[in-house]
Amino acid sequence: MTKNVAIIGAAALPVRKWQRPPDSETDVLEHESLAQVVFEAVKMAGVEKRDIASLAFANPRPYTQQKYFATFIANYLRLPCTGSVAEILGNGMTGALSFEAASNDIRLGRARVALALGVNFESATPAIEHMMNSMKATGDVDFHAPFGFTPISWYAMDAARYIHEFNSSRRELASVAVKNRRHAAMNPIAQLRKPITLEEVLAQKPIVEPLGLFEVPPRGDGAACIVLADEEVARASGKPYVRVRGRGFFHEGAHQINEVPNDMIALVSAQTAGEAAYREAGVTAADIDLAELYAPCTIIEVLASEALQLCPRGQGARLCAEGYTSIGGKVPIAPSGGLQSRGHPAHVTPLYSFLEIFEQLTGRAGERQVGDARLAVTSAELGNYNAALVHVLEGVR
Amino acid sequence: MSLPIITIDRVRIFPPRMTDFSRRFWRSLAVGTFETTRCEACGLYSFPPKPFCPHCWSKQIVWSLLSGQGRLYSQTVIHAAPAAFMAEVPYRVGIVDLDENVRVATRILADEEPRLDGPVEIVGLKYLDGPLFAARPVK
Repeated sequence: MTKNVAIIGAAALPVRKWQRPPDSETDVLEHESLAQVVFEAVKMAGVEKRDIASLAFANPRPYTQQKYFATFIANYLRLPCTGSVAEILGNGMTGALSFEAASNDIRLGRARVALALGVNFESATPAIEHMMNSMKATGDVDFHAPFGFTPISWYAMDAARYIHEFNSSRRELASVAVKNRRHAAMNPIAQLRKPITLEEVLAQKPIVEPLGLFEVPPRGDGAACIVLADEEVARASGKPYVRVRGRGFFHEGAHQINEVPNDMIALVSAQTAGEAAYREAGVTAADIDLAELYAPCTIIEVLASEALQLCPRGQGARLCAEGYTSIGGKVPIAPSGGLQSRGHPAHVTPLYSFLEIFEQLTGRAGERQVGDARLAVTSAELGNYNAALVHVLEGVR
Repeated sequence: MSLPIITIDRVRIFPPRMTDFSRRFWRSLAVGTFETTRCEACGLYSFPPKPFCPHCWSKQIVWSLLSGQGRLYSQTVIHAAPAAFMAEVPYRVGIVDLDENVRVATRILADEEPRLDGPVEIVGLKYLDGPLFAARPVK
């Protein structure tokens, strides 16, 4: 075994509001949906059920009735494992941590094939009820929650600061939403696909100023499965695959805000994790052909693109408005449509990023295919990018 | 230095919990004293107050008065709120950098959009069931 990690298959449910209202006679349940995704991904990978040695499962949000889902799905699929079976949690980073756990089993030689998978169903719970939970996850319960902060209110404050410091504008930031919808229009699994104009984005009702409805993610449900394997398995298949070239992680040791004032919008965790990932991959940001970033709001895509050196500091919003980050531009970002339009089934969102990069780097992305795509970067985060997990991925054809 | 105190004739929506340690912060706040912990070993402040120094892990901490004066680092107005706060929308929150080099997040009391980097002051809020704090621009 090479102990190099490759992605050899990937599949996901289209992001939709799959959950039915509580008074419906029948429901759409997580395990039935996920099983179909697993079968599709494993078939694409060309491996057998008996080859799978590890299940790294993204912990679902609390609305999933079936608890301890990892072992439940191991039973549902009758899948004995010699590597590990675990349920992994790390707020918005959850899906990427499950990808890490599956990768680690391959790096350690404990599995030749491992699944990073998960399901996140939550849309039947209204946003205002959901926020009663999420406000306790993205702040200090005793020193932030009493003031009514919401998860995206922190991003909104990033936006206000960015506009102030770099003389940017809501108009420039809103161009990210327009660009992402244009990409999503070409993505069959995207939640929102009808093209929108800049004026429409600006006319939406405010959610957290200066951000309006189209600049924040819709709520939706999803399920995804990524098949990882030792590169030896990938090579033997004779099919295109994706090699994990580098990874970097950093947690800044702060939760939402740094009690010692810092440059909040530099996203130091993304800077540090990105540098580590580029270094391990032996590349620089200039080598990257496309990026699929964890960016719930428009501003976060801009800040992460700057922190990962894909755009110069303070120019990410303007460059997006000029087409630099569109498919066909210099460095396409969020070719899937991103979290605002592809959708954001929270805990599995990072798995959707790996799916998009797998499709792009193996030439499966159809009309949204980025030309000559060989090297890509992904990020996942939690809080207000207080932590970041960055991967550099390479297509091998 | 004593904080201005604003009386609010209802209970807090989501009251903070108190511990034997953090009780001092909230009791002091109730009488207009804004204080937190500072490390005697490395000199840095913490916020929220902690029974140790998170910077150097020393246990040599002292309660130290904060001026309540600072600058507005950022702010937003929340229109989509958790269920418990829906009666208050829209409401303004922000991040304040205090003169002691301490960053706090809190409600911002301002009818018009306040200028970032502009001077703000902390005020005590006296609810029927206990205190909170907020910040407001200094005229």
